[in-house]
This record gives sequence, C-alpha cells and structure tokens, in this order.
Amino acid sequence: MSTTPTLLEVEEVGAAAGGPPTSTQRILTRLVHDKAAVLCLAFLLIVVLMAAFAPLITKLSGWGPYEFDSSAINSALGGVPNGSLGGISGEHWFGVEPQNGRDLFARIVYGARVSITIAISATVLTGILGVVLGMLAGFYRGWVDQLISRVMDFLMAFPALIFMIAILSSLPAGNRPVLLVVVISAFGWPYLARVIRGQTMTLANREFVEAARASGAKNLALVFREILPNLRSSIIVMSTLAVPGYIGTEAGLSFLGVGVTPPTASWGQMISSSVSWYSVDPMFFAIPGAFLFLTVLSLTVLGDKIRSVIDAGEAA
Amino acid sequence: MSETLFVVEDLTVTLPTSRGPVDVVKNASFTVDRDDTVGIVGESGSGKSMTSLAVLGLLPGGGRTTGSIRLNGQELLGRSEAELRSIRGNAISMVFQDPLSSLNPYYTVGLQIEEGYRAHRGGTRREARKVAIEALERVQIPDPARRIDHYPHQFSGGQRQRIMIAMALCCSPELLIADEPTTALDVTVQAQILALLAELQAETGTGLIFITHDLAVISSIAQRVLVMCKGDPVEYGTAEQIFSDPQHEYTRALLDAVPRIDDLIPAAEEVAG
Amino acid sequence: MTRYVIGRLGGVVVILLAVCLFTYLIFFKLSPDPAVMICGKTCTPDRIDSIRTVLGLNQPLLTQFWEFLQGIVAGRDYGTAHCSAPCLGYSFQTNESVWTMITARLPVSITVAVGAAILWLLAGVAGGLISAVRQGTWWDRSAMALALTGVSVPNYVLALVLQYLLVVKLQVLPFPSAPAFSDNPGLWFESYLMPWTVLAIGYACLYARLTRANVIDTLAENFVRTARAKGLQRSLILRRHALRPALTPITTIFGMDFAGLLGGALITETVFGLNGIGKLAADSIAKNDQPVIMAVTLLAAFFVVIGNVVVDLVYTALDPRVRITSA
Repeated sequence: MSTTPTLLEVEEVGAAAGGPPTSTQRILTRLVHDKAAVLCLAFLLIVVLMAAFAPLITKLSGWGPYEFDSSAINSALGGVPNGSLGGISGEHWFGVEPQNGRDLFARIVYGARVSITIAISATVLTGILGVVLGMLAGFYRGWVDQLISRVMDFLMAFPALIFMIAILSSLPAGNRPVLLVVVISAFGWPYLARVIRGQTMTLANREFVEAARASGAKNLALVFREILPNLRSSIIVMSTLAVPGYIGTEAGLSFLGVGVTPPTASWGQMISSSVSWYSVDPMFFAIPGAFLFLTVLSLTVLGDKIRSVIDAGEAA
Repeated sequence: MSETLFVVEDLTVTLPTSRGPVDVVKNASFTVDRDDTVGIVGESGSGKSMTSLAVLGLLPGGGRTTGSIRLNGQELLGRSEAELRSIRGNAISMVFQDPLSSLNPYYTVGLQIEEGYRAHRGGTRREARKVAIEALERVQIPDPARRIDHYPHQFSGGQRQRIMIAMALCCSPELLIADEPTTALDVTVQAQILALLAELQAETGTGLIFITHDLAVISSIAQRVLVMCKGDPVEYGTAEQIFSDPQHEYTRALLDAVPRIDDLIPAAEEVAG
Repeated sequence: MTRYVIGRLGGVVVILLAVCLFTYLIFFKLSPDPAVMICGKTCTPDRIDSIRTVLGLNQPLLTQFWEFLQGIVAGRDYGTAHCSAPCLGYSFQTNESVWTMITARLPVSITVAVGAAILWLLAGVAGGLISAVRQGTWWDRSAMALALTGVSVPNYVLALVLQYLLVVKLQVLPFPSAPAFSDNPGLWFESYLMPWTVLAIGYACLYARLTRANVIDTLAENFVRTARAKGLQRSLILRRHALRPALTPITTIFGMDFAGLLGGALITETVFGLNGIGKLAADSIAKNDQPVIMAVTLLAAFFVVIGNVVVDLVYTALDPRVRITSA
C-alpha cells in the first residue's frame, strides 16, 4: 500500500533536509549585497525601531496615541480634520484621526508596536510548538506520531478564522495581545510541524543518526544534537515567511473588530475606522494601509531572498 | 579495419560561473571508429561529462564550445538548434547515469520510447508501439508486451537502465554516448549491463563513448582510452598502452588507486600464522 | 481501493465529530444563556424555564450533545415542534431553521468561490508558466514583482480600494447585491465581479509564484535533460514533460484552497455585503447566535475535510508513484 503524499498548504520549503546547513553569516553577506533586500531591511528597521521606542518617539513628536486634540478637527463639519491631507502639519506629522483628533503619527507608531510584538511572539510560539511536536512525531513514530498527526489534522480542519473570531469575541477583554498570540499560534503550528515531521523522518533514517546511536547517545540528545541543526534552514525559511502572514492576520482580526481592544492602536483597526471617512479624509485610510502593505511586502521580499540563498547553498 | 566515425579535435568548453568564465574542458581530442569503444576516464569535475554534453549541444545555459566535432566528416559545432535536434536521439544518442531520475515518473516507459521514435521517424502510435516492444525485447526485459505500459518506478534499477538503452537505440544511432551508465547500479547488475552493451554493439556496429570514473570497467570494454584531469586531457592511447605502460603520472596514480587482490595477501598470511 | 476510501471516510467522520464536540464545548462554556437570549427583552422566569425545557438545556452537557448529533442524522423534536433531518436547530435571533438559512446562503458562497477560482487559475497558472519559460526576462521580473505586491496587500484593503474607485468614484459598478442569475444576469455579473477579482488577485499572485517555481524546478530535472537528448521539440518537452510534474502539486493546493473558500470567504463577503456563508458567520458571531455559529463551523470543517480526501484521491490518479495498487 502506498502512502498518501503530504499536502502543501503553504508554499513548499524548497530546502531539502540534509547537507550542511547554510550559515547565517552567508545569508547575511548575500543579503547585504542585494539592493532590494537592503531597502526592505531598512524599512523594517524603521518599523521595529518605532515599535521598540514608541513612548520615546511620541514624546519627541509631541502627542501621545490616546490624547484628543479637539482643535485639530472641525466639529461643525462632523469631525473632519482641519487642513489638507487629513490635517498634516508641524504639530501632527501624519495628521489626525477624524472625529476624535488623535495624532495619527503616534497611533501608527504604537500600532507598529502591536503588530510587531504580536507577529513575532506568535512566530516564536509557533516555532517552538511546531518544531518540538514535529520532531517528536517524526522521530518516535508509532503512537506518538499518530496522536500528534491526528491533532494536526483536527486543527487544520478547523475554519480558523471563524473560530478565532468566535473565541475572541466571546472572551472578555483581558490581556488581548496575549490571547491573540495564543489563538494565532494554536492554529498556525500544524503547518510548520508537518514540514518538520517529514524532514525528521527522512533524517532519522540517515547514517549519521545510526552512528550517533551506535556510539551510545541517548535518544533525546540524539534528536536535538544531530537532527535539529539540519532542520535549521526549513525553520528559518518558514519563520520568515510566517511573520508577514501573522502581521496580516492580526491586522485582519483587528479590522473585523476582534483584535486588540480600543483605544489601543492597531493598523487594522485604523483601516476599519477609516472606511466611513474615505471620501473626505482618504489619508486616514492611506497611511495605515501603506504601512501595513509595505511592512508585509518587505518581510515577504526578505523571506524570498533568504529562501533563495538557502536553496542555492543546499543545491551546491 | 574500422572506419572513422566520429572525431573530436581540440574541444574546449567554457562555462560562465560566479567567478567568471571557466574552461571545464581544455583541448580534448579523440576519435571513435565504427564498432569501437572509447572510454573517457576521470574523477568528478574532470570535464568528462561536459565533453559529452557539448557534443550534443546540451550544455547548461551560456556555455561556449570551440574546436571541432565531426560525425562522418560533417561538422557539428555551430549547427542550428533544429539541426542538432534532428541528430539527438537519432544519429547520436545518450544514456545517463541515474535511470530513476532520468525517466519521467509520470509516463509509461512505452510512451517515453515511442516519443523518441516518432520524433525522428514519424509513424502512427501503433507502429511506434511495436518498435518500442521490440526495443524492450532487445534489451532483455521479460514480458515486454505487458511491461511496456508500466511506469519507471515499477522496474528495478538494472531494468531501468536497460530501458534507457532501449530508448537510446530505438532510432539506430551511429554513436552512443554512455555517461556513467553503471555507476548507480550494483556490481552484478553492472556486469549485465556491460555485457548487454557489448552485445548490442556487436549487432549494430554502433560506436560507443563510455564515460566513467571506474578503471576496472574501462579495462574490460574500451579499445581506446582518454584520461582527463580537471579539464585537461592528460593521456590518450589504446587500452593496452594505458594499462600496461601509462605515461602520465596522473594515469599512474589512478591505476595505483585500484585495489588489487595481491595487496591483501601479506595480511592474510599474518592472520593464518 | 474501496478499503482505502472507506478508511478515509471513517477518518472524516471522526474528525468532524471532534470538531463538533470541541465547538460545542467552547460555546457551551463561553456563551451567555441561550434561553435568555431567545426570550428577549420582555421576559419572565417562567418563559425562560419553558424555553430551557424545550431546548433541553437542563440536561447534562453530553446528553445535549448526543441529542444534537441525533438531530443531524434523524431529526429531533423540540417540545411539540418537529425539526426534520438534518436538524441544526433554530436561530436564536430569527427563529428560522438554521438548515434553511444555510441552504439559502450557500449558493452565494459557491458562486464567489467558483468565479474567483476560474479567474485565479487562469491568471495565476498561465502567468507563472510564461514567467518560468521566459525566466530572467523583463516580463518575468515585472510579473514576479507584481505577484509579490499582490500577495502583500491584505484583501480587505484591496476590496475597499476597488469598491471606492469603481463604485463610489467612477460609478462604473453598482453596490453588490447578489441577485439570482436567472432574475438579472447583467446585475448578477456586475455584483460578483468585484468580489471575484479581489479574491482572485491574492490567490493568482500566490499561484503564479508557485507555478513559476515548480516549472523552473521541473525543467532542471534529469528527465527533462533526457527528453532534450532524445531530440524532442521544445514545445513537446514543455507540454508533456514539464507541465504534469510541475502542476500536480498545485492541484493539491488548489483543492485545499477551494475547499476553504466553499466554507465562505468571510472578509470578502462582509466588505461587499454579499449574503453568503461567510457573512452569515460574521453576523452570527457578532450576535452570539449559537446554533448558527455551530452550523457554519461544522459546514466549513466539512468542506475542508472532504476536500482533503478528494485531493488525496486526485493526487493518486495523477502521480503514478503513489497509486494504491494491490499488485
């Protein structure tokens, strides 16, 4: 009886397991020489710095994300920002939000914080769960594999979006970001685990594992010392491609109103609010939209470049 | 006295690399007579495979070839792609190293033989099918009429290589190039394939270029041998000359590297004593 | 072969049961009292009690779940009213039969999914193929740059931008209203055009990248080298030797993507106001309409799991190496 082939839900990781892992050094050198990669890295650096130093930056720019500046909006006209381009001025570098006059720059900066922290935490959590469970399933096989694989099938069958919305909307506000990270990771780890499982199974049959076993290494040590380094490429590639996905997921959930609770700033939530204003204040839509788009684009381009460096290295 | 079939003169192949153009074959020359076998020997990276790819114009993108390659006196270098296509699989055929990856897993072996035949000889599917069954029979695949509809993964390694050979010979080429055809197979199967090649050659009078890193194999089948090292043709002569009186130190080193049974005897004596 | 299919279908049932149970538990724990919800504003404790009895809410959790399952298979009775199989209960908000609500809205989601699928397969696969064959040319580079951009735009942003441009500003298209095809084909087409395009763009870009990568990889395979060495025409090599191996993995991915869409493109339907399963899901979650949420979740999971089985079967038909043979 032949086995059913593994299904691909995300773009398949081209790097085959086995062969010396491409060094981080090599990846970095190659990237530095690529103009597009440098541009992406520069933009991402800006976003990360925004996220990391948000309080400091808003102190410099003058307005916090929760302060209302009623002088910047024209209440007589329903809350439209004063001045052109949504109220861009020396006071408010990106203008203000209609109706409540909150400084858009500050909210973008704090929104960056939300997007980056949630996306990176989710990637880390997904990474840990996916790698550990995938390796256990691939190495031990038998009932461990059966159990973990059934759980994976189950999670992947779930309509994740529906479920995330349902859970998030029925739970009370509590620590929203943590909840988002947990929910996103709960549905995200099976995709990584599946790939890791497959590669672990291939590697576990290789001679070097036999050799290590013969020299007396205990199973767990075996798993981590011998197999993990060879999975590094896959882990790197899938993680760098997961980050933009999770940024999109968080923004999408916030857009639907189940992400971080207001007044916390999130790019997705800002886009959602901007819908009713786009005829009079398109900048309120354009600025968070542009940041979201450019961040996801930079991460995806970078992820692509990293993947091609790794593929080229392994093909040699 | 065999007539000269195929002549390669001063062949130089240059490939573009990230470090600039590199000559992977430098001024190689050899001749193949009808009914003859010429062995090209060398380690990996010696340029032996590149030589054969250059002959058929199958170099990876951007490769340049200079020198002369003549089949029956006709120059092949510089021919158009269309002309080369009519020669490939027709006047000159090639068999590659790994028969599993060299056959398309999605199609039956019958189709893969037939398409080569129909590309050069035309004909209906039924005619091509008959030719394919005959080809399988000639390479001693049992029950060819049934197995023609099987897929590559349903055959053993040795059988797959036979199928590759059948595919290569279906249009009765004048020259067959075999690039490490036995390397991926175990020793007993190797011997069978070599015997098959010898038989077919005797039947059809096809010239054979046999590329390998295995000297033992060469010694059993080749009349003439070209030794290559890092792109340089270091020695060229009859098999007798090469094996009994090697001129170049690289050739000598290659020969010395072959394990010989009389090397083992001193140790055996120790054990017995 | 039949043994394999039966085994897989058995697996489908198990997973669906698990999804069902899990969803039931979560909502049991998280939702406010349904009886209170149904009762509405003017409520008396007696009324709440009678509702609870009719719905069987006083029973232990597992009994309730069992009755729910029975209802799906054989229909059940709520007090004196009979709900025929498959019984998914009644909406807390509108008291409509959930099954009716779903069957009414399913055609919209299917229309969205099929239309988008046709668009993205044509654009994506063809685009990727051309890019692969012309690797390195300006066509390839610009197409891939475009694809990268398309993959990075969140689809609701695209939806909003398109809707603003085409409906509000340029007034080329009307606000989508999804009439039946037989009533007004022109309006039907215009209504679905934007949702199809928005959905298709994201997937088309993804598929273009995938197809290109697969075709390039396939063209580097040894068996393509063999085909060239046989002197075959370039177009034949591409058509026969490159396409099958390159596209087979893509059919797998397509099957899963399409199955996912059948369960409702939540965001797209919401933004465009189309009354499909996705919008039903979003609305019912907002209003905490438990039976509808259950049903929508089950439906979506059903499509995904069945899609999984179908895809695997199709794959065995396409790739000779994984055929289930008794030989």
